[in-house]
Amino acid sequence: MSYLELHGLEVSFDGFKAVNGLDLSVERGELRCLLGANGAGKSTTLDLICGRTQPTGGRILLDEHDITYDPEYRRARRGVGRKFQVPSVFKELSVRENLEIARSRHPEPWCTLRAFPGRRLSPRVAEVVEIVGLEDALDTRAGHLSHGQTQWLEIAMLLVQDSALILMDEPTAGMTIQETGKTSAIFQRLRGRHTLIVVEHDMGFVREIAETITVLHQGRRLSEGPIRVIENDPKVREAYLGSGGISHA
Amino acid sequence: MPRITSAAQFLPYILFCGAILAVPSIVSDPFLLNKFARYLALGLAAAALALSWGYCGILNLGQGVGFGLGAYAMAMHLKLKTSPVHTGTAGLPDFMVWNNLDHLPWFWQPFHSGLFALAAAVLLPALVAALLGWFMFRARIAGVYVAIITLAMLAVTNLLFVDQQAYTGGLNGITDLAWFEMGGVEFDPYSPAFYYLSAGCLAFFLMLGMVFTRSKAGLVLRAIGSGTDRVLFFGYDMASYQCLAFSLSASMAGVAGMLYAMVLEFASPTFMGVPISLSMVIWAAVGGRGSLLGATVGAILVNGTQGSLSETFLDSWQLILGALFILVVVFLPNGIAGLANSLGARLSGRARGMAARSAAPSALLNRR
Ligand SMILES: Nc1ncnc2c1ncn2[C@@H]1O[C@H](COP(=O)(O)OP(=O)(O)OP(=O)(O)O)[C@@H](O)[C@H]1O
Ligand SMILES: [Mg+2]
Repeated sequence: MSYLELHGLEVSFDGFKAVNGLDLSVERGELRCLLGANGAGKSTTLDLICGRTQPTGGRILLDEHDITYDPEYRRARRGVGRKFQVPSVFKELSVRENLEIARSRHPEPWCTLRAFPGRRLSPRVAEVVEIVGLEDALDTRAGHLSHGQTQWLEIAMLLVQDSALILMDEPTAGMTIQETGKTSAIFQRLRGRHTLIVVEHDMGFVREIAETITVLHQGRRLSEGPIRVIENDPKVREAYLGSGGISHA
Repeated sequence: MPRITSAAQFLPYILFCGAILAVPSIVSDPFLLNKFARYLALGLAAAALALSWGYCGILNLGQGVGFGLGAYAMAMHLKLKTSPVHTGTAGLPDFMVWNNLDHLPWFWQPFHSGLFALAAAVLLPALVAALLGWFMFRARIAGVYVAIITLAMLAVTNLLFVDQQAYTGGLNGITDLAWFEMGGVEFDPYSPAFYYLSAGCLAFFLMLGMVFTRSKAGLVLRAIGSGTDRVLFFGYDMASYQCLAFSLSASMAGVAGMLYAMVLEFASPTFMGVPISLSMVIWAAVGGRGSLLGATVGAILVNGTQGSLSETFLDSWQLILGALFILVVVFLPNGIAGLANSLGARLSGRARGMAARSAAPSALLNRR
């Protein structure tokens, strides 16, 4: 049995099936890329896995537990972490405070009531801050960060959260080539220790990191396999016809 | 807003608590002490609101529920203490006799004990808030809907207390109360002892609130207060955090109401009315809802001004209060506390700038 399994997953928004009988299995420690044209249902699939959206059918199994109807926070405690397509951090809080929230190994009130976060960073947080290059912005309000820095902050928060399953929705959107390279280096390091599902449009990035790719189309799985197989799959070519083939997606 | 070190954060609280505890050594006029004690009770109510509204984004327009429950819990005890002076044939409170009750209702019985009344004033509001909060926050109700529901809750509670005349004294409330007595001390509301009780309660809850908001739970609450459900995806059960803040706030309001009933020597349904609940919102906004101390000071200032002005402008006071609220919302969104903070930051920034210039080498060494 795989670490994460989606069985016939389905969600309908007022009759429109954004995800329509999706089957997917991801092994522990795997890095899986989700591809698909705009509106294919990639973000919605991640929403279903992390609990932001409730499915109207099908099942989600994580590490042999049925989490289909678990609330978000329970799934997070089981090890599901999520980076959102629109960077989602706490704008009113400082970078330091954002990272402190992400340090959520003991999220119950009776634990947090007894914890008094000081100004010293834990070694792990300090390491992450250095990786993403936010050392000098620790006391900046997150709302005052640039778009790129906000992206990095959210990635840093996920690294601090240290979830077993990390769902990344377009992590390199708006990044420079150098930053994208750095992100791919981070993902290479996470590979094996964490299970990752990455939604990306940047094919260069996908080529660099992906082992297995799943292509979604109209809420279904269209094709799955290593990048060569995907690129030569006539069905994928057809689905992407409008945008001139997958390489230019 | 960069946070200054926690020691500097505590300082205003310590100064304020020291100041209010020092008042009786300067003021000896019993009427003035009584008036100040009343302001402190209202200050506690405003601090309670700042905790839920300012920190957690829960705009509770029904703060009067906790305040009123605390007041009635204490009033029930103090009414029973007047027995048999103000009581009828069977040792019953006067209003029960007028309502043809022939024995004390079961839920009045435990209020013979002062300790029970104290516990009830603290715990009953928290319990009610926890129940209401559980339904609201589990259902992900937020923002203006919380304001509407809490307002409705206030109206229902108020109606219930007015309607159940035989048990609550109806519109009159519970009047002619005795003085509270504990550990051999009698808390005459015009005595320094009572003032110390008020100031002590306020100081205690300000410090408790300060520690609470500095804890990681307080940080999570501020994150929730910024209006996203992002914390859920880090594993924080948002609803239980909101319930926690909502209940703690109600508890503080309960203690405030309890003190208020003691100081006025009666409890009435107006304590859980709309006007007083909305006033609390104004006090907190004027003082700064993001700061417990700010809200407290706001309540004291507004009530102090009201006390000295309303004799001259009795009719226009509501108008003045409304205008003040609008001015603050427009020009000082973080209230007096926000003003003080930015002044403090500017001053300390200037001081730091000077220190850096005069001690440049050591400043370089100190960097990490
Ligand atoms: N809450 C919602 N209500 C109604 N329709 C929705 C909702 N969320 C998503 N959709 C629709 O479902 C479809 C799939 O959306 P989704 O965001 O999953 O696409 P995507 O593959 O992530 O696309 P993109 O590459 O643009 O991010 C879209 O047509 C979208 O309009
Ligand atoms: Mg998307």
